[in-house]
Order: sequence, then C-alpha cells, then structure tokens
Amino acid sequence: MQQHILEIKNLSKSYGETVALANFSLDLGKGEVLGLLGPNGAGKTTLISILSGTLRDFTGSVTFKGQDLFADRGLKNLIGIVPQEMAFYEDLNATENLLFWGGLYAIPEKELKKRARELLALVELGARAREPVKKFSGGMKRRLNVAIGLIHRPELLLLDEPTVGIDVQAKMSILDIIRNVGREGTSVVFTTHQLSEVEQTCARIAIMDRGTILAQGTLAELIRIVGEKEVVEVSGEFSAAAFSAIIQQFDGNGMEVLSVTDNQAHLAFADPERIPAMMQHLFQRHLPIADLKIKSPNLEAVFLKMTGRSLRD
Amino acid sequence: MSRTTLIVRNDLRRRLRAPMATILFLVIPLAMTGVIGMVFNPGADNRTQLPPIRLLVVDNDKDLAAKFLLGAFDQKELKDMFQVTLTDTATGEALMRKGKASAMLVIPEHFSDDLADQKPTALEVVKNPSEEFLPGVAEEFAATMAVGFSALAQVFADELKVIKSVRNLSLEAVTIADMTPFLEMARAKIIALRSYLSPLLLTVSSSTTTRPGREARASGFNIFSYIFPGMLIMFLLFTIEPSLREIQNERADGKTRRMMFSPLSGLELVTARIFSGWLLGMAVCLLAMGAGTLIFGIDWVSYPLQLALVAAACLCCAALFAMLNAFFRNKNQAGAFASPIILVFSAFGGSLLPLEQLPAGMRWVGRFTINNWFITGCREIMDGRLPIAALLVLTVSGLFFAAVAMAVLPRRLSAG
Ligand SMILES: Nc1ncnc2c1ncn2[C@@H]1O[C@H](COP(=O)(O)OP(=O)(O)O)[C@@H](O)[C@H]1O
Ligand SMILES: [Mg+2]
Repeated sequence: MQQHILEIKNLSKSYGETVALANFSLDLGKGEVLGLLGPNGAGKTTLISILSGTLRDFTGSVTFKGQDLFADRGLKNLIGIVPQEMAFYEDLNATENLLFWGGLYAIPEKELKKRARELLALVELGARAREPVKKFSGGMKRRLNVAIGLIHRPELLLLDEPTVGIDVQAKMSILDIIRNVGREGTSVVFTTHQLSEVEQTCARIAIMDRGTILAQGTLAELIRIVGEKEVVEVSGEFSAAAFSAIIQQFDGNGMEVLSVTDNQAHLAFADPERIPAMMQHLFQRHLPIADLKIKSPNLEAVFLKMTGRSLRD
Repeated sequence: MSRTTLIVRNDLRRRLRAPMATILFLVIPLAMTGVIGMVFNPGADNRTQLPPIRLLVVDNDKDLAAKFLLGAFDQKELKDMFQVTLTDTATGEALMRKGKASAMLVIPEHFSDDLADQKPTALEVVKNPSEEFLPGVAEEFAATMAVGFSALAQVFADELKVIKSVRNLSLEAVTIADMTPFLEMARAKIIALRSYLSPLLLTVSSSTTTRPGREARASGFNIFSYIFPGMLIMFLLFTIEPSLREIQNERADGKTRRMMFSPLSGLELVTARIFSGWLLGMAVCLLAMGAGTLIFGIDWVSYPLQLALVAAACLCCAALFAMLNAFFRNKNQAGAFASPIILVFSAFGGSLLPLEQLPAGMRWVGRFTINNWFITGCREIMDGRLPIAALLVLTVSGLFFAAVAMAVLPRRLSAG
C-alpha cells in the first residue's frame, strides 16, 4: 500500500442543529485522483472549508504528509484549492490573475510567468490570456479557476464542484484537465454531485451523504455492492407512500427496493424474470406509471442503495 | 515584492481598470461646489455675493464721522452687500429680537468727537444668533471700519486738529505707537476690504507697516473654498469605502478562502486594504484639491498642512470602513450600511449644509464625524492657523479604528 498523502480521521462539524460532517474519515494515496460523490447538502463544501482552514469548531484530525495540517501553516502552501465559487478577479485578465495569485506564494517572477503560460496552455486559454476574465464563458472561467489552484505546483489539489453550472463540453474539458493533473503526480480530491463525472475520471470513488462516507472503492468494487442485479426505474404520478404500500404486497423473489420518492422508485432484481410480474402487479393496482427503465448495474444503483435517494442536479 | 504591496498594487490597478466610479467621485464634488457657488455668485469673479445683509444702524452720534460711515454704505459695492435701515436703539433691539435683521451696528455718542480727540471709541455690533454667517460679515465690516476710522484719525491727525481747533476742544496727545499693534493686527482686514474702502483709505495702506506674505491671501472671501472641503470629504468617503468593502465581496466569492490558503495572513490582507484605501483617497483628494485651485481659484494656503490633514482624514476613512467591515456579517450588510453612514456623516458633519447653519444639537453630534473635523481643519489652515485638534482627532481615531480592524478582522477572515 502506498503512503497516504492525506488522512482525514473522524471529522465532525455542526452548524447549530445541522450536522454537516459526522465522523468523516478518508485516506488519499499519493498521486491518486479521488471523486467525492454526494448530493447537495452532503457536506462536501464543509469538508473543503475545514481542509482550507477557513472553518473552525470541528473535531477530528487531518494529517498531510504525516503532519498535522493545522499545526503548520507552511503545509497549506503545498495544497491548491479550487473553490466552488469563481474565486478570481473578473476585471483582470487571465495572466494577471495567475500572476497575482502566484505572487502570494513568493514564486520568483520569471518562474511564475513561465508557470502561468504553461497553465494557460493546459487549460486552453492561451489565446484569450489578455482578455478581461469577465468576457469569458462559464466553462472558460471554470478552467481558469482550476488553473489558479495549480499555480504554485501543489502536491494536493482540492476542487469543490469544479463543473457546476457549465455545459457538457466544458465539463469534459475540466475532467480532462483533472485527469492530466493526476497523471503528472498531483493528488486530487474533487467533489461533485454528478455520477457520470466520477465514473469517467476517478480511479477511486467515495460516496458520501449526511456528512459521512457510505462506501468507497474503485468503480468495479462499488458496483459489486449492488451485485449482478438489474435495476428498474419506475416513474409516474404517484406518491412515495402509495408506491411503498403497493410494492410491499409483491413477492419479488430477492427484489430489493433501492429508493422510493414521490414520482420515482428504483428496484433491483436478482431474478430479472420477475420484472414483468412486478409491472403487472403495479398496473392491476392502478398505479399511474408513465415510464419504466431497465438498467444494468451502475454507480447510480450503488448510490441509490447507499443513500436511499436519487442524485440530481 | 511583499504580499502587502502585491495586494495594494492589485487593488489600485483594478480601481484604475474601472475608473468611472472614481472619476465621478472626483468630478461630482467639483460640479456640486460649482453649482452651489454659482447660486451665491452669479458674477464671473470669485468674490462672494451673499444674500444682502440686513443691517440696522443706530446713529447716536449724528456728526461728521457717522455721516461719513453711513455714506460708505451708499457706495456701489456695499449697497449690494448691505441693506441698511436707520433706526433708534429701542426699535433696533425689538427688530433684532424678532430676527428681522442679521446685525445691528450702533454708532456711539460722541463718535466723531472722540475720533477727533483720538480717544478710544467703539462701534458696537449686535449679531443675530440664529444667522451665524451673515452677521459675521457685518461684524468683520464694522471691525474694518473701526480700523479704517482709527487709521484715518491718525493719518488725518493734522486735519482733525484743525477741525478740533475750530471747535475749540482741548487736544489730548495720542501717540502712533499706542495704535500700532492694533493697526498691525487689523491690517489683513483692511486689505481684504480695500476695494470697498479705497475711496476712504487711499493713503492708509501705504501708511501702515507692511507684513509681507499675507497680502496674496487676503484677496477676498471665496465662496468655493467655503463649500468645497465639505463636498470633498463626502466624496472621499464614497471613494475609499469600496476598497474596504472588497473584504466582504471576497469573502462571498471564495477569494478569501483561496487567499487564506496561501502564505498571505489575515493581518497582511487587512493592512494592505487599509493602505490601498488610504492611498487611493490621497490621490483622489489631492487631484480634487488641485482641480479646486484651477477651477475655482481656491487657495489652500499651506500645502504641507493640507497634505497632513488629507493624510489623516484618509487614514481615518479607510480605517473606519475596515473596522465596520469587521462587524458587518456579509457583503449585503456592508452594501446596505455604507451609503447611509456616509450620508449621515455628511449631513451632521457639515458637508451638505455649512456647519454654521446647523442647529446646535446637530453640530454637537457632528463632532463625531470625519467630515466635521476635516472641514474645520481645512478652514483653520485657510485662516492661517494650525489645525491641531483636527489632525489629532483624525489621526488618533484613525489609528484606533485600524487597531480594532486588525484585531477583529483577521480572525473573521480565516473563519471564511
Ligand atoms: N454557514 C452555514 N450555516 C449553517 N448551515 C450550513 C452552513 N454551511 C452549510 N450548512 C449546512 O451544512 C450542510 C452541508 O453543507 P455543504 O457542506 O455546503 O454541502 P455540499 O457542499 O455537499 O452541498 C447542509 O445541510 C447545509 O445546509
Ligand atoms: Mg457545496
């Protein structure tokens, strides 16, 4: 087992009554790209804020390269952060932004300029480097946001929902960048509430909800949690209570109810032969069903199983 | 380059990148001063044309000198300035009580004789307390007249002797040396009103001892120098405030989180922000003052003292807003409170209405505003005095605000 660059142990944090993190523990290997998947409100931003030292009053410990992260301010200089917000100056251009943020790290000017050019090429903004950032599209801004986090060659990059609010193409480009950064040996933790992103990008995936890790591993390992089951997604104009009442009367022969919400439910079948009977059962009881999808086992099913609710934008 | 310098440079660069707001805050006070000044001053020159001063004159002398003095009010310039009503003591006092006049000038009994005898005599000015500015002009005028008459009495001592001998009155010896300190003190006022008095005092200015250097200044009351400092400090507050509000904006958009991740400390950031607000304020203020001189002919009198006052005022403004932003919860609060605070400061501190015209209660409250101290200090410098109180109050409270900001803000910044 490789040495861990980051070890988070039993991190807990509450805002009054709201528990944002509950005994959250996570390890990250050197050079590893970890996707932290969790729905809105799961506690992802809270975790990043604690790691960046801008949140107090938590319990638990964080070691970075074997040392207490909060004991030595200097350690933080080895970490790069990409906040959920566009944390840069819109009235400056991309180069000026990179030079400013890099300037805070006392990087020699010549080296800083070289690094800025390098990063602009990496995030494909070289041609637009002299334009005020406020003229950029959402995707370009997100890319700049990532580039700034990398200006001081951090050993660990933390990204908080780096793909929020941009189109599919721009997302692909950000995920590409993250993969590239990982290949160059930087460890990466990035949070998202989108399944497809972690599926495509990360060697290791952690699923979190309500402030704690529910499952982690490679994609294949996680899918094994659900097993070789077919997943059926039922949608229609029904309430969660009505669906639950009806499905309880059905003998599914190893059928598992993954999640039930108003208008949508997920069921896993070890025995796919039972699916038509289940449909008949629902129709006979006049459950208004609009759509029914059969899916092979995937991360979504794992997520549904772990959290009991589905994940949406 | 230190991190503080980097932040300051970045702040200033960004303000220059979008200069419209700053330029407006530079132009608006000039424009407003111009407009307000014009209302009082439709002519082309800088000499004020205040609303006519309603002056009651009680002539208890009814002799030569009194006639001479009353005649002065008939001259063209003085006719525009004073609206003179001749009256007696009782009626005059009644009118004053009703607030029907700005001031009452009482020419004492035996005024002409006493002058001729070179005996001390006094013109009495009763001022209307509800109008503080116009009566002041009347008092100034009376003082000048008194000086003029005293000077005349000496310059024309020989002629007066003749008059005296004609009247068979005994002559008492009064030496010029007795009068000199008085004359010297009042010289500036004579020169100030020379053009009004020149027909009377043609030979006076040359006969009094001259103190060099003061003549240039005493070229008359400039309405614009009276209005402009108040406007300037109000818009200085508007100019400096956004530099400090940036602290809240950056907290909201994740920049602070990113900064706190770097080697930059909260204290460095707060220091840098106060400094950049101060620097920007200084630049805008000095530009505006230069423009004031070019456009309105304002004479700031002592540049080193004004520079010190501006530096103290800008420090106080920047530090005040740094401190306020240490207690505002977020950028919405900062945005909601900034302008009202500036406007209240300006209303109570003499930027919107001249200090003299504020009710006593408001003036008292006004002492807790930066505006009041800047305006007072500025006037003191223009009057050739040292604005010690203003400099002290602005600097000390500026340092105090800065200390509070530096104690409270860094902790709040690193807490997100
Ligand atoms: N400043 C705050 N005050 C109170 N509650 C908060 C605050 N920030 C976050 N929370 C709550 O903490 C939980 C976790 O929030 P967050 O970490 O932002 O989740 P995520 O980033 O995964 O969407 C949520 O229930 C949220 O409402
Ligand atoms: Mg979040």
